[in-house]
Amino acid sequence: MVTGPRLRSIILSAFLAPLTPVHGGAPAVSGNVISGDGKGVADAVVFVLTPTPALPRGRPSQVLDQIHKTFVPGLLPIVVGTSVRFPNHDQIHHHVYSFSPAKTFELPLYKGEDAPEVLFDKVGVVKIGCNIHDWMSGIILVLPSPHFSVTDVDGRFVLEGLPAGDYTLVAWHELSKLKPEATAQPVRIDGDVTRIVFNLPLAPARPRPAIHGVWGEP
Amino acid sequence: MFPALARNLCQLLLCALLPLPALAQYEVPTQQSLWVRALLDVRIVGGGPAPSWTDHGPGKMRYGGSNSPTGFERDTQLVLSQAALQLGASLPWGMRAQVQMNIEHDVADGYHPWLVEAILRREWGSGERGWGAQAGVTNVPFSLEHTGPAWTPEYTISASALTSWLWEDISLIGVEGEWWHATDTGVRLGALVGAGYGGDQIGRLLALLGWAIGDVIGGVNGDLALPTGTQRTDIFNEHDHRPAMYGWLTLVDESETAALKFGYIDNLGNEDHSGVWHTHFNTIGVVLHLPKRIDFLAQYLDGVARVHTPPNDSAVSAYYVLVSHHYGRQRLSARYDSFRVHDLDGGPTSTNEHGHAVTGAYLVQFGLRNQVALEYIWMNSHRDATGALNPTPDGWQISYRFRY
Repeated sequence: MVTGPRLRSIILSAFLAPLTPVHGGAPAVSGNVISGDGKGVADAVVFVLTPTPALPRGRPSQVLDQIHKTFVPGLLPIVVGTSVRFPNHDQIHHHVYSFSPAKTFELPLYKGEDAPEVLFDKVGVVKIGCNIHDWMSGIILVLPSPHFSVTDVDGRFVLEGLPAGDYTLVAWHELSKLKPEATAQPVRIDGDVTRIVFNLPLAPARPRPAIHGVWGEP
Repeated sequence: MFPALARNLCQLLLCALLPLPALAQYEVPTQQSLWVRALLDVRIVGGGPAPSWTDHGPGKMRYGGSNSPTGFERDTQLVLSQAALQLGASLPWGMRAQVQMNIEHDVADGYHPWLVEAILRREWGSGERGWGAQAGVTNVPFSLEHTGPAWTPEYTISASALTSWLWEDISLIGVEGEWWHATDTGVRLGALVGAGYGGDQIGRLLALLGWAIGDVIGGVNGDLALPTGTQRTDIFNEHDHRPAMYGWLTLVDESETAALKFGYIDNLGNEDHSGVWHTHFNTIGVVLHLPKRIDFLAQYLDGVARVHTPPNDSAVSAYYVLVSHHYGRQRLSARYDSFRVHDLDGGPTSTNEHGHAVTGAYLVQFGLRNQVALEYIWMNSHRDATGALNPTPDGWQISYRFRY
């Protein structure tokens, strides 16, 4: 079933993108992610769903830090097979854990660099929390391809370094009402820079409020 | 152009019509607006020979011995020390609600729950710079030790005498405002002011019972045993309709290695009202997070509790020094306590007391939810009212804690 927002994306990509190639730059695909009201969506991830390349071993590890009782960055997209370090730069302890099917793990109470790296070997969303500070929340998005881009505050993205070929791109956001496959857009990379637009209606958010004051010191 | 467009449209149709591999792994679990947490603490305890103050005895720890025909004798018991339930909610306008109820049947003399906390809180700004305001049932934020889950002590099973008293005896209904600010040099400043009703008998326990060591978490609807007969004293007590006023200042260095904290409270009690105590004290504390995973805490409290009748005016003071080493799931802690009550008015029953204690504890976590802890306390205290009796020379505990 093709829904309204998706239909709009299809029309935009099918008619605008092939007709408006951008020439002469290194980027292969650029564009915007917009919400139902037409505003740019920040912190959306646009990535190549298919084809999935053979991934080389030995990628450098990534870092999800903990600073002032906040995961930094709050969203960390990585390619499957990447290890992540979780340094705690607060002087209080954190107890990092995830119950997500894509990766279940825990790092018992620690500070500094004491925690071992965690390997993310399965594609999907890994929701990270702290067992002590219930408002601390982060997401590691484990992707099937190294070709991904996070949108800026205006919802713009640029996907660079894509070899020539046919791809299916999707967009993801923590609050998206659409599953990634419902946003799929086929793209042919043949030397031109292509612009595409993803329409991603978002659900309202009510994050768990933090306690930064003295009552949040534990 | 047309072939490319046709191919694109075909791919789109395939995307729309053919089942793709399940992509549910990209769904984010919805963060619930309501959440529940709980804590259950079961222990084997071996207290000193004298019955505990929680049983109206002279014992200075939460668990003590029992009366026997020849005096006191030690007991070893299996006890449910704490069952805590915490509820939280995200409310509109960025507000947070939080409630905690505790069952501590040995202290409450029954299984009725005590309301430990019930607050509405709102913050503005960030962790770097911001404001906060909250209203409801709360303690004062003076304890450096009660930083574990459900406000339990983090470093040992039993808190120091100083902070044991803070969490036993104080539960207020009021409001707090807070400000925090990281300077350009990285130094973090914090100031909190609060006002709350219900503190008219703060200090009564110290005068009549003296200092004790334990992990009792007082509730606004709770009462505590007094040493005489079967008398109990309400934790929340308001007769003069004057709120207690308190403040808490914090100074933390850029790396958060060292923190200096200063607190003051005056319950502004009107002694002309029967049963109202006028109590004020100040406290200063230092927290150091040293290299080699060592934490160092020291806190000092000094104050005065006065009451018209009966004459039990007392000056109270206490301090402790705690050193703790942690490695992964394990923590080893040692603490020295010193405490004193000085009778100010020479009434018929002296409130004079002095004593000190040494506590050693080993805690180990199993997974997210389980903790086993061992603790030994050696204590030497003397209270004029009980003569040469040293009611609690030592005691031990083995605790299993489940955290949901």
